[in-house]
Amino acid sequence: MLLIAFNFVREQRWPIFVLLLWVLLLAFLGLVADIPRMREDLLFLFKQVAVYVVAFSIFFGGSAIYNERKSRRILAVLSKAVRREQYLSGLVLGVTTACAIYCFALGLTGSWTLGAAGFPVSQVWFLMVCLVAACMLAGTVALMFSTFLNPFLAAGATALMLGVPWIASQTVAAGWGYVIPVSALTNTVLKSTFKVPGHNEWFPVGLAVLETLAFWAVAARIFSRVDIAVAVE
Amino acid sequence: MTGMPAALEFEKVSKEYGSFASRQSVRALDGFDLRVETGEIFGFLGPNGAGKSTAIHIAMGFMRPTLGQGQMLGRPFGDAAARRRVGFLAENVALYHRRVDRLMCFYGALNRMGGARLGERAREVLRMVGLQDQAKRNAGKFSRGMVQRAGLAQALMNDPELLILDEPTSALDPLARVMVRELILSAREAGKTIFLSSHLLSEVELVCDRVAVLHRGKLVRMGRTSDLLQSTEQTAIVARGITSDAFGGAVSQNGLVTMTVPISNQRSVMQRVWELGGEIVSVNPVRRSLEQVFLEVTADAQPPQPDGGR
Repeated sequence: MLLIAFNFVREQRWPIFVLLLWVLLLAFLGLVADIPRMREDLLFLFKQVAVYVVAFSIFFGGSAIYNERKSRRILAVLSKAVRREQYLSGLVLGVTTACAIYCFALGLTGSWTLGAAGFPVSQVWFLMVCLVAACMLAGTVALMFSTFLNPFLAAGATALMLGVPWIASQTVAAGWGYVIPVSALTNTVLKSTFKVPGHNEWFPVGLAVLETLAFWAVAARIFSRVDIAVAVE
Repeated sequence: MTGMPAALEFEKVSKEYGSFASRQSVRALDGFDLRVETGEIFGFLGPNGAGKSTAIHIAMGFMRPTLGQGQMLGRPFGDAAARRRVGFLAENVALYHRRVDRLMCFYGALNRMGGARLGERAREVLRMVGLQDQAKRNAGKFSRGMVQRAGLAQALMNDPELLILDEPTSALDPLARVMVRELILSAREAGKTIFLSSHLLSEVELVCDRVAVLHRGKLVRMGRTSDLLQSTEQTAIVARGITSDAFGGAVSQNGLVTMTVPISNQRSVMQRVWELGGEIVSVNPVRRSLEQVFLEVTADAQPPQPDGGR
């Protein structure tokens, strides 16, 4: 599982590198800007750069199996003593690690720039934990759909699945945001301000971990019945 | 040999590919039965789209059969523990783009290999396929033939009991083909079983103990290679001291006259040679090439289906 996860991160090193350029931008602004005066702009940029990674986790998760099947590299991997569920676990861990690398870099930069502007550094890291949990769940949902759909449809289905609870939380009741807590976790990041940097609410983080396990189990069940040597389309 | 457990066994395996859009299905395998004995080199032949790769992918657990079942090394198809004892080289093998020695270690580690033995074995298999000088090179920069060699090396990493090779020499030059042939033969000497799917009939003819021909998803011929190549119908009689004019269809070369005659006529032709004052040099049953056998049993082959070859 660790081998497959490490291999996934290695194969995705260029997209991860491109993502990290956004963090570099924030770091650059931290160097040249008058931090106390521009702190609201920096926080806005921090939040914007932070939520990109959730979209990328869907991209990573939705395309992982497809890319491996299309290149036929999956055959050499699954011809070894690797069970399908182990393979999927490796991919979930790989997607989470890829996003965690980004979040770690963003956390470091955020601690420096926002910390200097008065934002609690511990809260920056809590927000990063929320982001990693959101990415892990979003990536796993995308991975589940990608076991039987092509990446575009898998991304669409994932957006729908994550979007419906979010819409319901906005229109019906806030509790709907916890059905699939990606939106709840993302909102924790987006709604943080210098005055109210957010509450350390661990419930959605724990829920995201549990739901990740549930979606992984469903994905493993579906994937065990899929003919992987046949073209996806 | 039949008392020993089979290395690979298909029992009435059928596989249909469905198309959601056209609601049509293609039957790639149709009640396919096959038993590969432990310690033999088994040749698996068939035209494009016959279902060879489908059968292999089912055995490896990449696909599920629509009907039927099978076993690999005594475990049901798709069993990960059985795959640990199997080496597999896919047709058009694709590998990750990284240093080839590290790549071998990666594939070995997937089979639960580890420690100092891993690196040692990686060097060993790269030497076996003639890539020892390329060990530090990125596989992404390899030619197709070198990728195929690296693919063969990864299949050998775990010193497998059963080696399943799908077109292992298709991209190789003649020297590399000889190397693969020697590898296969030495693997058999070491007690391994080799299941070899190939279009290179001359290679199969040279190394395989038994051969099966698959056509339209069905097994149409199977037997010992020597038996399949032996024709029971005709005999080649070589004589000297006569002219070829006396026998219709005879060929004269360097003073020797060769006649290919039905076995039923063998005695009368030999008597005629002696009556004409000639001398019989040799009488041998006519051997066919595997290509002739292949063409004979797949004579009604249609052009492959659009999604054939899977």
